[in-house]
Amino acid sequence: MIEHFLAGSATLFGDPFTIGVFVFGVLGGMLFGAMPGVSMLTLCAILLPFTAQLTASQGVMLFAVIYCTGTYGGAITAILFNIPGAPENAPTAFDGYPMTQQGKAGKAVGAAVLCSAIGGVASAIVMMAATEPLAKWAIRNIGPPEIFALVFFGLAVASSVGGKTMWKGWMSVLLGLLIATIGQDPVGGINRYNFGFADLAAGIAFVPSILGFFAVSEIFIQAEKKAMGKFTAPKVGLSFPTFVEIWFHKIAVIRSILVGFFCGILPGIGATLAAFMGYGEAVRWSKDKTSFGKGNIEGVISSETANNAATGAAMIPLLALGLPGGALTAMMVAVFQMHDLEPGPLVFYNSPDLIWVVFAAMFYANLCILFIGLLETKTILHLLKIPFQFLAPLILLLASIGSYIGRGLVLDVMVMFGAGIIGFLLRRSGYSIPGIVLGIILGKIGEQNFAQGMQMVHYDLLTYLSRPVCLILIIAGSLTLFSGIYKAISTSLNSKA
Amino acid sequence: MGRLTKSHIIETVVWGLIVIIFFGFSFEFNREIEIYKFGATGWPRTILVLLGLVTLGNLFHLYRNGSIGDAGRVGQLETDEEMTYNSLRDYSKLLAILIGPLIYAILLKPVGFYFLTPFFISYIIVIFGERRLKFILGVTLLLYLILLLLFVVVLNAPLPQGNMSPFYDYSAFLLKLNTQLKQLSIW
Repeated sequence: MIEHFLAGSATLFGDPFTIGVFVFGVLGGMLFGAMPGVSMLTLCAILLPFTAQLTASQGVMLFAVIYCTGTYGGAITAILFNIPGAPENAPTAFDGYPMTQQGKAGKAVGAAVLCSAIGGVASAIVMMAATEPLAKWAIRNIGPPEIFALVFFGLAVASSVGGKTMWKGWMSVLLGLLIATIGQDPVGGINRYNFGFADLAAGIAFVPSILGFFAVSEIFIQAEKKAMGKFTAPKVGLSFPTFVEIWFHKIAVIRSILVGFFCGILPGIGATLAAFMGYGEAVRWSKDKTSFGKGNIEGVISSETANNAATGAAMIPLLALGLPGGALTAMMVAVFQMHDLEPGPLVFYNSPDLIWVVFAAMFYANLCILFIGLLETKTILHLLKIPFQFLAPLILLLASIGSYIGRGLVLDVMVMFGAGIIGFLLRRSGYSIPGIVLGIILGKIGEQNFAQGMQMVHYDLLTYLSRPVCLILIIAGSLTLFSGIYKAISTSLNSKA
Repeated sequence: MGRLTKSHIIETVVWGLIVIIFFGFSFEFNREIEIYKFGATGWPRTILVLLGLVTLGNLFHLYRNGSIGDAGRVGQLETDEEMTYNSLRDYSKLLAILIGPLIYAILLKPVGFYFLTPFFISYIIVIFGERRLKFILGVTLLLYLILLLLFVVVLNAPLPQGNMSPFYDYSAFLLKLNTQLKQLSIW
């Protein structure tokens, strides 16, 4: 492994143009991830046509590097403005934004930098060491029933965080699942809920709805506060977390690496579920559960470690099985195809150089997060000093451009602002925006894998549950769900009407 | 009525309507799929039934507890508390905040990004309470130039140009200028 890694590093740093592509990817991912309104997906969508001019290894490496640094960059906007740069940064905002309000933004961003780097480097090392055996294990043990079971578990976790009550948490998740049913059904391709609009046949686009629910609704809430004279500017805190503070949460870091890596391996699940589950597990095992959501640094540590730990793992289904784990890895498939390559098991034999350049680049990109991230943190914190009335139009316009660029449809900009209005009203009533977004993301994946799983076991539930990984995940999800229901009903019954 | 308020009832009715309307529309695609027993409606209808049940659970919670949240819930910011609107002026402010951006999105297709954006920037700055004219104009110009520089000059991103004259002509003029600038820089 070490010889391959050194060979990959030599190829990466032996050519000035490849170094340039790497540096562009590192800085571009961080910048687009950290700009409220746009994300690494926007950058990749713009860059996709240009990758035809690059070699295959440069093109795939560029996207892999953007994936690593962009996943970290999205944490900054989540912490500073309560606007997650990407869905995988949503749980970071739960504690990161309250920390900013308490004047501890430096500590939160510092923890995000450090833990993103730790999670990413750990994931890159495991990816280099174990892609082939893990891919073989995944082929044997992971199928549609397991993926559906993980979706179920992830949704159960998501419903337990974010909403004002357990009921509202579930209503949010179910609304997201309902929105995901708009468009063609994944089995028979039958149009559902297009209400006569041809553009809706392709479903509600993922990026505009996320930007609307997260970014636009937050701008509306801040605008409302300004208009009603209740706006308070966040305090700028420049103190970084000490090493002891991070060391104190080492168990949370290790747990999140494991959770993140496991979620990342599974095709279609990716970093978003990893972040939610990393966060959910941190709450579950904490002795002080009530401090979460109020500025507990462990919340930031858990979600940021988990989502970056998923980045390396997400390469495994892509490279070993040819299955993209999310929107960005799907664009990487397009890069492969532009160069007449097919990601899958054969790529390890046909293009080993490409694989190891990508692995080496991801390793170094995660190290760059640590060094560049710490250097840029203080600069980024000064964003908080910009009056919000000047930052808000920039965020809204970046979000509009980000929505439009994906499919070139003005309808997507309308969907974004529509989602913003709905998100604003739902947040006011105590519903969970991250729950809705996770429902939208996992809805199609869940339905598709449920259908395939049912067909596989000939609609026999006992056979379905006889698969060990599936059974464990279903039990874990059911425990999370029923403990939540029990708590909610007992709370309602114990209070006097 | 327990602790139910008028807004709780409206909230429940809205969710109920969502369930009923979506269930009603599900008959439009209620077709069998040969290879799949549950058809195209199985999944959405399951979601709708669950949503209906959870809405009833929520109603029961609201009846017993009112708007009080569960203890120890994570992710609800205390600053997301409900605002109180006392006058028509307050409601009109809220309407301006919510509707303005939607109108911008609707006008993007006929008018285009290039012409419409400076007006939108100024609108948002004013909505956020800024009244100093030199700041409004200065920041509008600065943001407009930053966006053009990043997305048009550097990234060549395709943005809506509009389909009505003279807005389309203005977009075409800016894009032509960008091409000429690039040709100059190549020389």
